[in-house]
Amino acid sequence: MNVFDCHTHWAPCFQNRDGRNPAAWIELIRSAGVSHAVILPFTGLIHDGKVGQDNDDLAAVCAHPAAEGRMIPFCTAQISVPDEGLAEIRRALGTLKMRGIKFHPWLQGLSPGWAAMDDVCDLAEEFDVPILFHDGTPPFSLPAQMALLAKRHPRVQIILGHTGLFEHWREAIAAVNLTPNLWPCLCSPHVAALKEIVRRCDPQRLLWGSDHGFTLDNFYPYRRGLMELIGLDDKQREAMYDVNPRRLLKM
Amino acid sequence: MSSIIDAYTTSGTERETALPVEELIRQLDDAGIARAVVAPEDREIAVHNRAGNERIARLAADAPGSPGGTGAPGNAGRLIPACTVNPWFGAEGVKELSRAVHAGARMLVLAPALQGFYLGDEIANPLYEAAKEMLLPVYVHTGPHGPAAPTQLALVAMQFPRTRFIMGHCGSTDHAHDMPAALKLKLPNLWFELSLVRPFAIHHWGKIAGDERLIFGTSAPRNLPRHELQHADLSWPIAKNSGTYGRNIEALLAEVRP
Repeated sequence: MNVFDCHTHWAPCFQNRDGRNPAAWIELIRSAGVSHAVILPFTGLIHDGKVGQDNDDLAAVCAHPAAEGRMIPFCTAQISVPDEGLAEIRRALGTLKMRGIKFHPWLQGLSPGWAAMDDVCDLAEEFDVPILFHDGTPPFSLPAQMALLAKRHPRVQIILGHTGLFEHWREAIAAVNLTPNLWPCLCSPHVAALKEIVRRCDPQRLLWGSDHGFTLDNFYPYRRGLMELIGLDDKQREAMYDVNPRRLLKM
Repeated sequence: MSSIIDAYTTSGTERETALPVEELIRQLDDAGIARAVVAPEDREIAVHNRAGNERIARLAADAPGSPGGTGAPGNAGRLIPACTVNPWFGAEGVKELSRAVHAGARMLVLAPALQGFYLGDEIANPLYEAAKEMLLPVYVHTGPHGPAAPTQLALVAMQFPRTRFIMGHCGSTDHAHDMPAALKLKLPNLWFELSLVRPFAIHHWGKIAGDERLIFGTSAPRNLPRHELQHADLSWPIAKNSGTYGRNIEALLAEVRP
């Protein structure tokens, strides 16, 4: 069985240490029993002037032979200037062949309710890629905000990157159950919340993520360990770690 | 014998904190945790304060290993009761706080998001004043965005310098960005509790605050004590940080004077 980690980052600590060579990064995830990882930007989320560079770096890292095809790059863009942001997304999905889009709305100062976000969804539909949002924090990152966006774009697959974190996980469950194209990624809620999410959400859309990679701390022993505490059966495990992400990412 | 204290647990009856006290004790045993503060559950924190305080006092007194309990001897005071009061009850709430502390409670729990107030709102001031008189530590759940940020609690701690505050969860998750500034204040009346903090990141807070200001907690049953303690130890070793893992909270609780 593959194990897809659907929420990781390539942060400056790795870029500065390893350049565009992911060999050490791959070795770490392999040692944690992870076969594939969705790689989300970091620098591009916090520095508008480096969005294009970050997308270039991520695409190059994931295309590196050491990545062995196991790293799946998502791009980002700053859409407060819509034309520029949309052009960057088109470049990243088209020219760079990136496989999805990531937004961290409160870090980037973007509301899922903006008209430009609807244009992003149109692009995601055109390229047939998912959008992953940081969620669990107001004012721009509530599960309900992502759910309404997903309802406006029912053919676009939208991922709740944290399934509500510690305070909005009940809202996230409601949002997922009302929105067939909203996918909960089990990344960061506590054990009791993770159990409830698994119990109450569509098992065919559950994903798992570690959030590894935005510091040099090794997130895996703790986060992989959490998933061993929630009582998954083999079928749930296979769906969440392997079948669901492959279906979502078309692999 | 372990001297580790878990500064925040719940033995609730419903929703995600439902956990019989016997199972809580078993989880503490499994983790090698000697004692734990046990707090009322969410509904009791929000509305049924007195019923919750009485339930927790009974539960702590009757817990296996406690003097009135039925378990093995030698573990007297295994569970240490906390109490709660919703600040909106005003003077009536202050009376309930006094009653609960006289009945054995050793920590006041406030949860602004559950109780419907914002840190900084003067509605809670009478409770801070009453806690000051009793040297009662005030544990505040932080993290919810708007009512309960670390910076908001730091301001309250500055406003009430003789009241002892414990910052529950250190603003986890996204208010963690505020923590370096809050830790660097080095306020003498503010301690930092670690449940819901990513265990692998505790050492970052420890390097700023030092062992004398951190307090270990698990928020069981939202988390499993064994898993939390094991990974906290990897980041911030028990052997080198006895304050974090028991001595700090023990000292605070010991000084409460009803």
